[in-house]
Amino acid sequence: MYNILLVCSAGMSTSLLVTKMQNAAKDKGIEANINAIAESDLKNSTEGVDVLLLGPQVRYMLSKVRTLMEPKGVPVDVINSVDYGTMNGTKVLDQAISLISGK
Amino acid sequence: MRMIDKVYNILLDLEIKNKSGVSAIEISKKLDLDRSTISRYLNLLYKDKKINKMDGRPVLYKSIKNNTVIPFTTKTSNISNSLDKLAGAKQSLSIPIEKAKAAIIYPPKGLHTLLLGETGVGKSLFAEQMYEYAKDVDVLDDNAPFIRFNCADYANNPSLLTAQIFGVKRGAFTGADSDKEGLLKQADNGVLFLDEIHRLTPEGQEMLFTYIDKGFFRPLGETAKNIYVNVRIIAATTEDPDSYLLQTFSRRIPMVIRLPSLSERSLEERYFLIESFIREESRRIGKSIYINRNSIISFLLYDCPNNIGQLKSDIQLSCAKAFLNYKANINNYLIINQGDIPNHVRKGLLYLNEYRNEVNELLSSTYDVLKYSEIEEPPLRLIHEEENISEDFYNIIENKIDSLKISGMDESDINEILNIDIESHFQKYIGEISERYKKEEINKVVSTSVLNLVEEILILAQKNLNIDYDERIYFGLSFHLERSIERIKNGEKIYNPKLNFIRINYEDEFIFAMKIAKLIDRKFGIETPVDEIGYLAMFFSSEYFRDRKEEKPKIKIIVAMHGRTTASSMVEVVNTLIGTEFVVALDMPLSMKPQIMYEITKNCVQEIHRGRGIILMVDMGSLTNFGHMITEETGIEVRTVDMVSTLMVLDIARKAFMGYAIDEIFDPIIMSHGSYVKNPRKENVILAACFTGDGLAKGIEDLVVNRINSKNIRIITMNIVDEIKPEDRILQMENRYNILAIISAVDIHVGLIPFISAIDIFSKGGEEILDDIIAESEMYDKIWDSLKDHLKYLNSDLIIKDLKYLLNGIEKKLNFRIGKDVKMGIALHICFMIDNLLSGEKTREFENLENFKSIYSNEVNIVRKEFMILKDNYEVEISDNEIAYIVKLFIENNICV
Repeated sequence: MYNILLVCSAGMSTSLLVTKMQNAAKDKGIEANINAIAESDLKNSTEGVDVLLLGPQVRYMLSKVRTLMEPKGVPVDVINSVDYGTMNGTKVLDQAISLISGK
Repeated sequence: MRMIDKVYNILLDLEIKNKSGVSAIEISKKLDLDRSTISRYLNLLYKDKKINKMDGRPVLYKSIKNNTVIPFTTKTSNISNSLDKLAGAKQSLSIPIEKAKAAIIYPPKGLHTLLLGETGVGKSLFAEQMYEYAKDVDVLDDNAPFIRFNCADYANNPSLLTAQIFGVKRGAFTGADSDKEGLLKQADNGVLFLDEIHRLTPEGQEMLFTYIDKGFFRPLGETAKNIYVNVRIIAATTEDPDSYLLQTFSRRIPMVIRLPSLSERSLEERYFLIESFIREESRRIGKSIYINRNSIISFLLYDCPNNIGQLKSDIQLSCAKAFLNYKANINNYLIINQGDIPNHVRKGLLYLNEYRNEVNELLSSTYDVLKYSEIEEPPLRLIHEEENISEDFYNIIENKIDSLKISGMDESDINEILNIDIESHFQKYIGEISERYKKEEINKVVSTSVLNLVEEILILAQKNLNIDYDERIYFGLSFHLERSIERIKNGEKIYNPKLNFIRINYEDEFIFAMKIAKLIDRKFGIETPVDEIGYLAMFFSSEYFRDRKEEKPKIKIIVAMHGRTTASSMVEVVNTLIGTEFVVALDMPLSMKPQIMYEITKNCVQEIHRGRGIILMVDMGSLTNFGHMITEETGIEVRTVDMVSTLMVLDIARKAFMGYAIDEIFDPIIMSHGSYVKNPRKENVILAACFTGDGLAKGIEDLVVNRINSKNIRIITMNIVDEIKPEDRILQMENRYNILAIISAVDIHVGLIPFISAIDIFSKGGEEILDDIIAESEMYDKIWDSLKDHLKYLNSDLIIKDLKYLLNGIEKKLNFRIGKDVKMGIALHICFMIDNLLSGEKTREFENLENFKSIYSNEVNIVRKEFMILKDNYEVEISDNEIAYIVKLFIENNICV
């Protein structure tokens, strides 16, 4: 069971990606809890998260979030922009899992 | 002996014989001085409370024997009683007056009364009039005392304050070295008016309430003896009636009367107040006072927080200034002009629009100057305009001048006064005429030769001044000319007091009017004087005629089709059915070159356009592209409908004729017409241009093709030597292609399409730019592919192109640099944002929006402006909340420091 959290601005664009990732997980038989939140809600939503992925437009948060999360053992990265732009659920899921297993 | 004392002594002498009082004239005869001087001294004496004056004609004066207390010994001579004479007695004061009367006559001894009201509403006057009324109805004796006491006068010495009212026994406190009778005792069998009663100490209040409840009181220091008096207390206060103190007062004082503030009173009441104050001043100065209309309006409408008291002192101040000008011989008569009234009063004129109808009703909209005089009553309405608007305009002006001259004004002042409203009068005159006469009827009143001339003039006016004039000016000018020509022929004088103003402010119109005058002179064998030319200029200058057009201009329709008569025969049918020559036909014989047809169409558009857009209805081919090109070249909105049928033209023409807006007309066509289905996805192209299209352009093509490999971007070469400008052709191409860049030896800038100069493209930097453009294009292509099925309301093809321009535009304007991957994220954010907005969802609120906006106001403004394109294209409201998110993304991701 992976707990994956996506972050973007105002929660505008990630919800579609979440759906796509959930579908991809189902196809692969992977159990995953995938959620998307707005940048401003980040503080209160990191409990029990395995990996944190940022939308490319909130790339500026990367170092801040990393210093916050990596001591807790939670990897943080920016979603590949082509995968993001194409709403490629499978690839983003792969990115998330490889981050978790790479830690 | 001072003159004022002489006057006083004479009055005392004459008073012995004339028990009823002495008039100013009687004194002036004795002293051989003019009456107005005497009046002024009498007024000074009155102000010093040495004499009293009695209303009536002429005003009579009487000395006041007892100076310590001020009993009003005036005997009212009027039929109606005192209270009813107050301004507004029948209106806003009617209830207070009823209550006051009840308080006075209530048996057996009347009711003590509390007067409430803001500063300056006239509480003192009201109390005095209650006292007068009590005498009128014989409740009080004619010589009953009226004692006025302001509690504020002793506010910082409470024991003295109490002592003043109730009296004091010797030794009651330090300084009380003798028994002193209080005012309450002095007012026995009369009225004690206690102003600012809230200043009374709690001790004093208790004593007052004891008197109110039981009818007796004890002076300070008195322990045994109760003093019984019969005094009617009228207390007054500005305090809020809900305050704790006043709650006590209003519980203990049986009658509470609230007086309305000035703003609660009607304009009519206010007018009477103004009138009576000016008349009072006139009496004081001993001279008639003139006041111009605008000043009266200012006094009627200005914000006057301290009520009648302030109104009165503002009027006094203005009168004093006017008096000064009069004395300094600046004016030959005492007139209050705008310059004499205080600034804050002058601002009243600004409210005129709000109250225009009421003011006009009040001032009968007929006179320029009001005259108030101590002798004449009611005020003389000096200058009457005839209500009959068909009366000769010149006669009105002439009558005005005559009457002003008779009243002794000199010429420059007359002009000043006439200027006050000549323009509005002029417009009214013209405006009303057109409503009264139908076009067919005008011939009965105006000769055909004049009518023909007017038609000619209006055509010239349209050409020369580039303005459309409507029917009203046709009527107005016809009437005007009929009379002025007649007048000039008879050798009567024409006078235009605004001539210089017109010359200066309406130069173009004046020059045009001079041309017209020549035309008139030639036709009628007269010589139009310059004053008349001024009037003519007013006709053409007046904004009035343009603003009040009942009908908006309409959208114009052009039908342009291939074939010698195809368009014209279709249009003929349509125009016949509509009943007017509304649609314009442009035939394009097959032999005609498109370029020539384009020019013809463009000229036609420019000629018939009336500001609301053009619909160009065409059949096929090159004609379909004209609209876009004309818009680009002329800025006139032209929409094209292709593959037209007679029925379509009829439908659109009917709607346009009814005044529909271009969008209202256009949308249904798109919906119902096959040729307007959504454009298929456009092909990506890069344009390579050179003079011939074969030389340099080919070289560019070879180079670029190598760089873009197999990606789906095509290179199109074009020449730039053509009858149609390359920019226009590129615009045309934009309908079919998604143009990524223009590469050319000559600068070609179309919209936001990136331009790369041919020299750069062969250098390293140019290649990078090209690579960026290609990569960007690919990125957006990918977004489009992934989004097309997921956006609910948005046409993703369109938005992608707009987004590209939008993001690049913002980046440039903010002077930022944003990474490509970030841009992709922002693009997606915006796509979903707009889609959400279109579906009616709300964006979550940006934290501390106002704060953010004030810190980054410049950035917010830039982004907001750039988003206007999206707003228009997608008909979506993008609020500052959404803008703030985007600004934040740009700021945070900026990699250019």
